[in-house]
Amino acid sequence: MLLANKEGIVVTGPVVNLVAAGVGGSLVVFTIPVLVGQLVGVKSVKILKVHLFNNTAGNTWVLIGNGLPTVGLPVLLPAMASMNNLEDIYDNLPEVESFADIVAWPAALAGGGTIDIMLEVAVIG
Amino acid sequence: MPDLYIFKAQVGMFDPVALQNHSVGIHYQQKTYYRKVDFLEGIPPFQCIDITAGLGLAPVTPSGRVNIVNLEMADGEFGLWRWYPIDDAQIRLYHPAGIAKYQLRNLQVPVDMNILFRDPNLVSTEIAVWQNNRPAVEAINGHAFALGAVRLIAIGYRFHTVNLEGDGKNADPELVNAIKMGKAPCTDVWCSGRGIGD
Repeated sequence: MLLANKEGIVVTGPVVNLVAAGVGGSLVVFTIPVLVGQLVGVKSVKILKVHLFNNTAGNTWVLIGNGLPTVGLPVLLPAMASMNNLEDIYDNLPEVESFADIVAWPAALAGGGTIDIMLEVAVIG
Repeated sequence: MPDLYIFKAQVGMFDPVALQNHSVGIHYQQKTYYRKVDFLEGIPPFQCIDITAGLGLAPVTPSGRVNIVNLEMADGEFGLWRWYPIDDAQIRLYHPAGIAKYQLRNLQVPVDMNILFRDPNLVSTEIAVWQNNRPAVEAINGHAFALGAVRLIAIGYRFHTVNLEGDGKNADPELVNAIKMGKAPCTDVWCSGRGIGD
């Protein structure tokens, strides 16, 4: 076959520590590759895997969206449960495509607790 | 010469339409230019356009017609391109912008992402572009949701040519006459579509 029939280069984002609850606590967990004038073409990403680790934050939910907190965050996927002091790994997700940086935030955090999050994505384009 | 002609593919291959020193007849609409290839190179697959220009495409909506300026070639050059979309829209091709490509009597055949399964060599998408006479495209989003982009990937060859006609230093009127009389080989390269009845 001349060309691959499956687009996408699989890469990971950094481990991001979510320290504040709610939309206001959202942090960028994956940045779309953009280098104006040097990168050819428009890039997008599909989320393949989400790795969560709950640092005594209590049983809660983590939401994933994109956009800027100040204008509201479109949620890309249903909320993912994060169990107190345990890791949760989500894969086989719907291949939601995002053209903007992906952000995440916990619905709530028990006092002093945080959640580590890391994404694996396919970069398309 | 050679068994070189456009729309040719073997399994896993995309052949150049002409090689060094081969004569080509460039057809652009009703015009024909006789030229000789003096350089060629392969062009790796690259993203040649986002038809939506970064704005996305609304649900169940066709886009406007957009020129693919990134497929234009320099003066005296033609490009040979195959292409496919990486976003789930149907693509209509025009070449040049006023002439529908893949035109049947009752249908202009669109191309979508399935082309990679149904025609893995992309031979049926092959087009040639003479100088800055680039093609144009429209995208049709049939989904109930908006598409963030409609991007096309192109792969092909770049051919630099010299003029066999006129009185330039590469002019060869005897060869041109021989080509026109069918006594010398020449690969015809169609660098535009043609209107029905034209």
